[in-house]
Amino acid sequence: MSTTLDLHSHSEASEDSRAPLEAYLNWLKLRRAERPVDGVVLTEHRQFNKDADYRALEDKFGILVLKASEVETDYGHVLVFGVNDEMTRRFDFANVHLPAQEVIDEVARMGGVAIPCHPGRPNVGLCEHYAKKPPLENVIAVEVLNGGSRKGEDERSVELARSRGYRSIGGSDSHLVSLIGLCATRFEAEIRTIEDLVRELKSGEYAPVDFRPRRKPVPHATPVEVKQA
Amino acid sequence: MSNANNLTYESVQIGDALGPVEFYLSKDQVRAYAKTCGMWTPRFTDDEAARKEGLPGMITPGNMSLAILSKLVTDWAGTSGARIVRMGTTYRQPVLPDHTLTLQGFVTHKNESDRTAEMDIWIESEEGDRLVIGTATVHFPR
Repeated sequence: MSTTLDLHSHSEASEDSRAPLEAYLNWLKLRRAERPVDGVVLTEHRQFNKDADYRALEDKFGILVLKASEVETDYGHVLVFGVNDEMTRRFDFANVHLPAQEVIDEVARMGGVAIPCHPGRPNVGLCEHYAKKPPLENVIAVEVLNGGSRKGEDERSVELARSRGYRSIGGSDSHLVSLIGLCATRFEAEIRTIEDLVRELKSGEYAPVDFRPRRKPVPHATPVEVKQA
Repeated sequence: MSNANNLTYESVQIGDALGPVEFYLSKDQVRAYAKTCGMWTPRFTDDEAARKEGLPGMITPGNMSLAILSKLVTDWAGTSGARIVRMGTTYRQPVLPDHTLTLQGFVTHKNESDRTAEMDIWIESEEGDRLVIGTATVHFPR
């Protein structure tokens, strides 16, 4: 049995989102035909809420909810899956200059997995940092489909993954309710816990999936000469 | 989408769409807005001067984008008596005039206790990039 998860989303716990988790899950239920997502992973910015318990909402909507974090490093933003006490003691998740190589190596040693997200994005993505610094070691995957990507960003991410031999994941990076589940990752295996997810990201079979609607092209406006007012 | 003329709190449904509305934003409109608001600075009025600041050309003031999005919401609310009680936006990329913009939104949840509806709203470029994203809260009278 396969499992499709949106691996990257932000609820109102992140300072730049106003999306309640319940509204996300209701939206996925309403849009099930267009976005057949079995679960979401909350990757709040620079934090991890160990005590948050979403079982009642999972039961209400029949959608899996897992917790992770998006941290900021000297190589851009990184998703950390399988966060535990050892990791939160070792790293200050609020630090926006975490050392990426240490995060990747230490998170793996502590039983999790760290995956750079939106690598094709200027300033906060891996590609720009690779142009100036040596590549990171022990990267197993990068996010090549991101629901918030601008034109060309996903293409750069795909090329990075191809050229470096990284595996690929997808996530919506949703900060708005209606954008949840637009990009996701389909796993061959059944996933019910964060431990399942970490195991599958490390050694399972998976691929990014794109549920973004194909858009009717809008014609470019013809530039016109305008006099100074 | 709900009929704007008969829009009530009860008739609004989660998933209702605002737009999409396409419109062409001219440089003259941006200059007029900048002048009216006392924002007569080169980045909002002159391509060459804006490029000297590292911008791709003259850009639309953020509060003009906010105003454009507020019109999407008030047009949707029509004559229902509903009013915007809160709006918030995130500016992801500059909104460039002399392009066709698409405005879109969706009602995402409702709050029975204060008779408000929450909605996502955004401005898209011709390429489909979401240049400005945000949310609005609309209150409906009894």
